[in-house]
Amino acid sequence: MSFTGQIREVARVDLVVERRTGDTFRIVLPFAIVTLIIFSLSLGGEVAILRTVGPAVFWAISVLFGMQLALRASALDSPTRRDLMLLLNLDPAARFLGRTLASSTIVLVFMAVLFATMVVLFDPSLPGGWFWPLLAAISLAAIGLAALSTLAGGVAAGTRNRSSLASLIVAPLAIPIVVGASQVLEAMERNSGILLWILLLITSDLALLVAGVGLSRPLEEASR
Amino acid sequence: MRRVQIIFLVATAAVAYGAYLAFTAPLDALQGEFTRMIYIHVPTLWLAFLAFGVTALGSIAYLITRKPRWDRLAASSAEIGVLFSVVGVFTGMVWGQAVWGQAWDWGDARLATTAVMIFVYLGYLALRHSIADPEVRAKRAAILGAIAVIQVPLVYFSVNLVRTLHQTQSIRPDGSTMPTEILVALLVNVGAFTLLYIALMMARMHVAVLEEIRIGATVVAGDAVAPPRLSDVKDV
Repeated sequence: MSFTGQIREVARVDLVVERRTGDTFRIVLPFAIVTLIIFSLSLGGEVAILRTVGPAVFWAISVLFGMQLALRASALDSPTRRDLMLLLNLDPAARFLGRTLASSTIVLVFMAVLFATMVVLFDPSLPGGWFWPLLAAISLAAIGLAALSTLAGGVAAGTRNRSSLASLIVAPLAIPIVVGASQVLEAMERNSGILLWILLLITSDLALLVAGVGLSRPLEEASR
Repeated sequence: MRRVQIIFLVATAAVAYGAYLAFTAPLDALQGEFTRMIYIHVPTLWLAFLAFGVTALGSIAYLITRKPRWDRLAASSAEIGVLFSVVGVFTGMVWGQAVWGQAWDWGDARLATTAVMIFVYLGYLALRHSIADPEVRAKRAAILGAIAVIQVPLVYFSVNLVRTLHQTQSIRPDGSTMPTEILVALLVNVGAFTLLYIALMMARMHVAVLEEIRIGATVVAGDAVAPPRLSDVKDV
């Protein structure tokens, strides 16, 4: 099978598993929406405050929950499954890219639904022509988060405190992604250019994808 | 061990001389006595950058050669880097409180990125503590150590990328914005702290070797029992 075929197949398997279990939309998304509601209640339900902080709350919840979604995919890997992939001669780089592709698709859909919910609950004032820049920001943030979480999931695999450890690794490294993505709307509000923030997102994503591909073989060995 | 002691002595003498220069160098007209914070704040954060760079180099060298000494180098340097960066941030906060009137400003890119950098390396150290097998620990920590270094240029150039409260670099390729006496005292302190880093690194790596020997010598239940080997079975 070709390299791109391997990427497609790994992504397809992960997406099929997600469709069958449906955890993202049955568990994670409702939990994220409850968190949005908790935020609005803890802010005293003040409409003016909610309208201002809405996008910031959306990004904070998106990153924390999106990270968990992407980390969940690598948690599915049992040692037996990893051995099977090895015997099938699956390229570790293709495995990393396939998993990142699947996770970024899931995180992108999750973030899009969460954003729509945030707009309904918080009624933020969005700048004119927000749709395409926001879609670009969400897509790039989803790719970066997925790549980072795939790497961290492999690094923390099999440890006794896997989920909290992987979160500790991902959260600080995800800061450039959070800053880049959240500043796109802010920059539009201020009527300043969004190019710098989009470039920051693209650079972060590229750096993570290159690191992931370059380190995929040692990561594969270390996960065994 | 004797070599470590000698380097510690030299480093202590250098730090003492640096402290002497720090207390005799001229003061800034506006900042007064708080000018002296520069002689701790800048060298400690410079060393944090150096230490995290060494962690990345040690990690990459381990991934290439698989020699445990590179892993020890990376781990020791990360520990010392976290220590120096915490000292650097603390001195910066004291300085900021005196000069800006506030110890912390979330709108300041340099402060925020430095805090994030510390947490990235706390994650690296947490990862090391979570894995018992030395080989697995070394491999995984090396992967993270090689990625985590991306934070260093981000912190360094944050003041150039975003307009912040923190000043931009005072020492640049085209010269320095400081008076010569202050610059000399600062460079001596940077050198003295670098010697201190080398001494701490050598001591920490020595301790790491002793830890490995101690763990290797620890008797675990079942250690004495070996599975039967085919070559030992005769006349079957």
